[in-house]
Amino acid sequence: MLVQFYNVSKIYPNGVKALDDISLRIERGEFIFLMGSSGAGKSTLVKMFFREEIPTRGQIFIASRSIVRMKRSEVPKLRRNIGIVFQDFKLLENKTVSENISFAMEVVGANIRDIKIRVPEVIEMVGLKGKEKCFPGELSGGEQQRVGVARALANRPLMLIADEPTGNLDIRISTEIMELLYDINRKGTTVIMATHAQELVRAAHKRIIMLENGRIISDSLAGEFFL
Amino acid sequence: MIIKNMLYFIREALNSLMRNRLLSFATISTVSISILILGIAVLMTMNAGSFMNRLESDVEIIAFLEKNLSSSQIRDAGEEIEKMDGVKQLAFVSKKEALHRLQENFGGKEYNLGTTIGENPLPNSYEIKAADPHNVADIAKKVEKVHGVYKVNYGQGVVEKLFNITKWIRVISVIFIVLVSLGAVLLIATTIRLAIFARRKEIKLMQLIGATDWFIRWPFFIEGILLGSLGALVAIVLLLLGYDSLISKTDSIYFFSLLSDPIILSKIYISLFLTGSVLGVLGTYISLNRFLDV
Repeated sequence: MLVQFYNVSKIYPNGVKALDDISLRIERGEFIFLMGSSGAGKSTLVKMFFREEIPTRGQIFIASRSIVRMKRSEVPKLRRNIGIVFQDFKLLENKTVSENISFAMEVVGANIRDIKIRVPEVIEMVGLKGKEKCFPGELSGGEQQRVGVARALANRPLMLIADEPTGNLDIRISTEIMELLYDINRKGTTVIMATHAQELVRAAHKRIIMLENGRIISDSLAGEFFL
Repeated sequence: MIIKNMLYFIREALNSLMRNRLLSFATISTVSISILILGIAVLMTMNAGSFMNRLESDVEIIAFLEKNLSSSQIRDAGEEIEKMDGVKQLAFVSKKEALHRLQENFGGKEYNLGTTIGENPLPNSYEIKAADPHNVADIAKKVEKVHGVYKVNYGQGVVEKLFNITKWIRVISVIFIVLVSLGAVLLIATTIRLAIFARRKEIKLMQLIGATDWFIRWPFFIEGILLGSLGALVAIVLLLLGYDSLISKTDSIYFFSLLSDPIILSKIYISLFLTGSVLGVLGTYISLNRFLDV
């Protein structure tokens, strides 16, 4: 078991209750969709995984460690085991594709030899060979998100968190990104993806967790849910 | 970890300096003006201090002896004075010597005081130097009571005034230096704050990826130290040139001899350089604490 949420609630200082008594169990190697309309609590839930938000009540364990009681100085270590893919890609505009990916390794103190080997590896994995020297501005949206995925994979995370990764992409490109994520999952990485793109989810036959008003209203396989 | 990443930190710091070229230039200029003022203040204080010290060490007590003392009585008085606490140096000035000095100072070659005034009217005396100029007044009081001494001279009041003046010069310089340094720190803090804002997307990303707090902080500290020490360097070069030409220009004015000991001066310049770096660290620290949530 990789992740365990026990009765997690989150109330923001302004009184908004984003999560309400969430309990959840995620095994190693799973592929999970987090679904729900905007405001359902998806974003808050996603942020809990890498301790960007801390529960107001409840406990979260990742790899048997409480990340609620975790010291601030231990947070970087947690995050190095989690790759994050963002809706808006968050690429650094003044760095090339290669540099954006090696940046992620440099900031966690990887040594230069490893970086030199790993960067071309992940670039090939996401199908961007030949674009290493391009700047993000010279790439299409789909290509930029591939860079985002490559960067998230660079440090060989246990878990990949994708927050609306296809939110800014059209359906054809989205399907390509999904294929990439499935491929990563098949190689053993746990993938958690927040989305509201029903057409992607329906085709997938993966576990779906539906959120509404901060509560889990269903947790099931796609086939069962959409019958 | 830190050593391994130093190259990365320095590269990032230099990139940031170059990215905000104009601002970096403005900050370095302002820091150098601040350090320049600081340096001028320090040099002024040091020079005033050494000038005062010279004046202070010139303060001596003169004990005039009664006219009809025997040579053994004169010796006894001298021994008694020499034994007193705080007396550093004692010199006997005979009446003949005293007349000789008077002749040198006022007579010159044209008037022979010895023949003009007939018998030498001057008394024998002891010149006493105190180990610590602050004790001059106390010692003078004790000397006055020694048998055979009929009058004591020590520039009553002048000594106290001198100490007052030096004290005020020091106080004013310190206030000045503190204010100027504060200004420099705040400017560096502003520059670093802008550097943080320029990179805040990158910083956020670094945090999410798993960079440690210190990994994020280091480049800013290096940038701050660079700003501070580059500014100090410019100021030191200007000071060196300016002070050198000042020394050569005032060389001929004898009572106004400037401090020129190369060891003391190089210590001052090194301290100014270190001050620049410290100002850089302080400025960075302020901005990192206020504007960087790491």
